[in-house]
Amino acid sequence: MSEQLPEVLESVFREIPNLAFEQKGARRLRVKLRADALPALLELLKGRAGYLHLSAISCVDWPTLNEFELVYHLWSYEIKTLVSAHIYIPKKPGRYVSVYDIYTPAAFFERDIHEMFGVYFEGSPDMEPFILTEWEGPPPMLKSFSTVDYVEKTFKWQDYSPEWLIETE
Amino acid sequence: MTNSTTIPISSDPNTDIACRTIDKEERSLLRKVIDRIADRCRSRSLFILHYCTGCGAIELPPTITSRFDSERLGIQPMVTPRQADILLITGYLSVKTLKRVILSYEQMQGPKYVIGMGSCTINGGMYWNSYATIKRLQEYMPVDLYIAGCMPRPEAIQQGFIQLMDHIDKGQANAWETYYRNYDAYLGNQQALFGPNWHTPTDVIAEARHYNFFTEKSIGKHTALLAKFASEYVTQPIPSQVLSQEEIVE
Repeated sequence: MSEQLPEVLESVFREIPNLAFEQKGARRLRVKLRADALPALLELLKGRAGYLHLSAISCVDWPTLNEFELVYHLWSYEIKTLVSAHIYIPKKPGRYVSVYDIYTPAAFFERDIHEMFGVYFEGSPDMEPFILTEWEGPPPMLKSFSTVDYVEKTFKWQDYSPEWLIETE
Repeated sequence: MTNSTTIPISSDPNTDIACRTIDKEERSLLRKVIDRIADRCRSRSLFILHYCTGCGAIELPPTITSRFDSERLGIQPMVTPRQADILLITGYLSVKTLKRVILSYEQMQGPKYVIGMGSCTINGGMYWNSYATIKRLQEYMPVDLYIAGCMPRPEAIQQGFIQLMDHIDKGQANAWETYYRNYDAYLGNQQALFGPNWHTPTDVIAEARHYNFFTEKSIGKHTALLAKFASEYVTQPIPSQVLSQEEIVE
C-alpha cells in the first residue's frame, strides 16, 4: 500500500494541523484529526478535491473511553477515494457542530445519531425523533443501555410447550 | 340478550322476555345446518390481506403463485383490509408496525383470522432481545394459528392454511370473537406500549354489541381512558360506569 497520495489531497491535509492519515487500501484513507478542525477539512475537501458526496456519518460509543467517535465518510467522483474522517468528542455534554451547511444530507445522519446516541448537533435543522416515535427511554444504541433488561421489563415471554406443534411431514 | 325495548323485561340481562335464562349454547337445528353450510363456504374462499412485515414476505410470492399455488385452496391476496379475511403477520413486528397492524386488523370485518408466521411472532425469535420489536403477538390481537419456523417454507404455510380451513369448516376458528369479549385486556396491552393516548378510529365496543359479543370484560379501566376521544360519530369512548348502568337497564 505505498500508492502515492493524490497531490490535491496532500495539499488539503497539509493545511490542517494535527492531522494523521493512514492508507487502509487502494481507495481508502483513514484520517484522524481534532474535532474542531473537521468543518475546515470538509470545506477544503469539497472545494478543492471534489468531495461532493457525504456517504454517511457514523457514531461509535466506546464503552471504555469517555468519548464518542464520529466518522464522516466522504467520496469524490474525481479522485475516487473514500476518506473517512475520525474525530472524538467528549461524552459529557455530547454536543458537536452540524455540517449541514456544507453537506445537506448530513441533516438525516445527525438526526439519526441524535436519536440513537443522544449527541446534539448545533445548527442541524431538525433534531426531532426520527424513527423511534414511541420511544421514551434513553438513546438505545448507547452501550450503557441494556436492551435485555429493557425487554425483560417491558415484554412478557411465553414458555415453549411441545404440544402446540403439529409435525408436518 | 334481546334487543326489544317496548316489552318490559326483567332486569337480569341473562334472561329473555319470558324471564327464562338464556342458554348461550342453545341453537336450533336449522341454524346449526345453516352455520355449517356457511362455514364450509367461508373456508373455501379466503382472502389474505396483502400486508407483510419482516422477512416472511419473501415466502409469500411462491406460496400464492404457480409453484405452490394457494389459489387451489381458494386463498388469494386482497389489497384492502375491509375485504380481507386473513391477516398474515409474516415476521417480526416492531412497536411502530404493530400500531398499523392493529389499525388494519380492526378495519377487517368479522369473521377474521390472524395467522402468526415465524418464530418472531411467537416469542420474539432472533429479535428476542430487541427493544423495538414485540415478543408475543397474541397479547395485542387474538391469533388463530401460529406457523413456527424461521421462516416457514411455503409447504408449511400451505399446511397452515389447510389447518385454518379445517378449523373454519368445523366452526372452531373463533379467535376473533375474543377480541370483542376481552377488548379491555387487549387495549390495556396496547396502551402499555403506545401510551394512554392510544386510540383507533374503529368503534370496537359498538362492534362487540353488534356481534353480540359484549361481555363485562369488553370494557374496563383501559377503555375508560378512551372517553376523551369521544365524538358524535364514535360511541366507543363511553366511560365504563355509564356503560355498565346502561347494560343493567337493558
